[in-house]
Amino acid sequence: MMNAVMLGIIYSLIALGFTLYFGVSGVANFSHGDFCMVGPFAILSLSLIAVGLSLFAPPPLLLPILFILGIVVTGLVGIVMERVTVRPFRFSPKTTVLLATLAFGIVVREFVMVAYPKGANPHAFPKLFPDGGFPLGAIVLRFDNLLIVSIGILLIVGVNLLIRHTRVGVSMRAVEQNMDAARMMGIDINRTIGFTFFLGSGLGAAAGILTGEYYGIVRFDMGVIAGLKGFSAAVVGGLGNVYGSIVGGILLGFLESFIAAFVPGGSAYKDIVAFLCLVLFLIFRPMGLLGKKEEKA
Amino acid sequence: MALLLTVSLVSSLPSDAEAKKVVKIAFIGPLTGGAAGFGLGGRNSADLAIREANKSGKFPYEIKLLPVDDASDPDTGVAGAERACADPDLVAGIGHFNSPVALATIHVYHRYRLPFIVWYAVHPDITYGHKYKEIFRIYQIMSVQMDAIGESLVNKFKYNKWSLIHDLSNLGEIQRKDFMNSFPKKGATVLSVDGVAVGQTDFLPVLTKIKGLNPEGIYYGGVVMEAALIKAQMHKLGMSNVVFASGSGIVTETFNEIAKEPAEGSMGFFMGRPVDKLKGGKEFLAAYKAAGYKEPYEVAGPLAYDAVGIILSALQKVGPDDREALAKTISAIKYEGLLGETTFDERGQTKLTVVSEFVSQDKKWVIWEDSAYAKGQRKLPRR
Repeated sequence: MMNAVMLGIIYSLIALGFTLYFGVSGVANFSHGDFCMVGPFAILSLSLIAVGLSLFAPPPLLLPILFILGIVVTGLVGIVMERVTVRPFRFSPKTTVLLATLAFGIVVREFVMVAYPKGANPHAFPKLFPDGGFPLGAIVLRFDNLLIVSIGILLIVGVNLLIRHTRVGVSMRAVEQNMDAARMMGIDINRTIGFTFFLGSGLGAAAGILTGEYYGIVRFDMGVIAGLKGFSAAVVGGLGNVYGSIVGGILLGFLESFIAAFVPGGSAYKDIVAFLCLVLFLIFRPMGLLGKKEEKA
Repeated sequence: MALLLTVSLVSSLPSDAEAKKVVKIAFIGPLTGGAAGFGLGGRNSADLAIREANKSGKFPYEIKLLPVDDASDPDTGVAGAERACADPDLVAGIGHFNSPVALATIHVYHRYRLPFIVWYAVHPDITYGHKYKEIFRIYQIMSVQMDAIGESLVNKFKYNKWSLIHDLSNLGEIQRKDFMNSFPKKGATVLSVDGVAVGQTDFLPVLTKIKGLNPEGIYYGGVVMEAALIKAQMHKLGMSNVVFASGSGIVTETFNEIAKEPAEGSMGFFMGRPVDKLKGGKEFLAAYKAAGYKEPYEVAGPLAYDAVGIILSALQKVGPDDREALAKTISAIKYEGLLGETTFDERGQTKLTVVSEFVSQDKKWVIWEDSAYAKGQRKLPRR
């Protein structure tokens, strides 16, 4: 159960990124999965640099410092991505942008593989969360499970509050509704979309860091499947709908865990189930569970 | 004029270095990826054997190692094998840690008539699935290993209730088949069998299900990354009373590095003996250290060292110019090396069958007889 919730939260974070990009700029950003990988590798790289410079922080500070730095670095990569592969193609066919984002993701992935020391090998991820747990009835609640779920929920709630109650959130909603009207109201479109990509990439990084921390291992290609599953969750919930991405993520997390745990031999099929859901929703309910049906003119 | 003539005559003669023919032996294995620990140790050990051969003065030509990365991937392995085989200086090769890669590349070696000694992959079809005269294997097949593993875990260590997790590659499937042929015959009860994808990272759902069945042990049929993650996640689920075991694929420090403290008490099984217990082992260790390799030799290093030794011994007999003659010589060889006396059966399979038990102790693999567990200072799960 706890594993299902945790998986669900991670998928929700990735799906939320997709939803932000699509909602504000209309772009299905297929390099988003690779941002999930950039986050943990940013932390690994920063750790190497810190050790090299003999910079150390007390353990209670280490977690938030590394976490925030990993998200910020990835967010900056997201801004670069938007400048290079989205903005120039704002008025081009959607397939052009899609291919451009896909290509950028490949570039990032291959760059990490080549530039990071022994980048093609899996790497142990540092333990940021405390080990152990406490009993609750018949089960043991582990600290790392609780922290992952708590951080995930905090991020989701935080993004929601930002969108609903801040100036930049209002700008994002305005651009989502009508870009031209937003421009006429004095909103800086480029800055708003840039910030959206910073935020979305940061969420992807957070998902990747939490994944790396929990499983203890990161790989240069870990974002490929994660990105596709996050996209599936976003589509299932309703691409462009913030609450939909949360519902889709949780649903996918529970479905995978259920299949692996209760269906005989199900562990081998859980990825099939995830993508089958995507296909079925695209056929029968392309707007997703909480999305609105597009009205034909 | 005479001086000019002499200088031009002398300078046109080939120097000793130029005259010396170059002969290459390939090492084709995982130099990147999850099994790189094994691959780099194997490459270095093969390189050491070649350096020693060149220094010995026994060969009238220079021998070079041609390292090729197969990245544990069949497509990459085949491309690497094709590239290597096209090298006119290549006379033979050793390599492959992963059975799916070896199963894909042996046909390339056969096509080029290149004598190739498979160094660590265990699928039986690598030697028994064809009649290629060029293909040999210096490591034992899975069914022989699994029989020994079952004997050890069930009859020696008395673990009778098992859950099996296996990956869905050829290696995982053959381990499943051999496990099901071996363990029940030894008296074990198999409570569950679960297949998982190679590259999978989340095993919590399947382990949660297995926990409910209350096994005494979990056997993993697969390679090191997934094994390490399974052991770490067993710890997360509080399954410290369940012993974790697997074959030679996990007896590498990568397992301990990834699983960290939860690796403690895991059992691995290796065909052969640790090098410090082999005749010539101390000399190998000293030479390896003196050569200054960055990566450890790992348990499979001596296999690569002996595999190259076999090729070198055959080269001394028939020379480098005829690949078929070289293959024929290797097939009839009786090679006295680190592993003992290596001979091959009619299908190129080694006849050596020694199995060593290892236990993970303080994040290092220790042979059972030297471990704190064997001395009674620590206890395996449920003991």
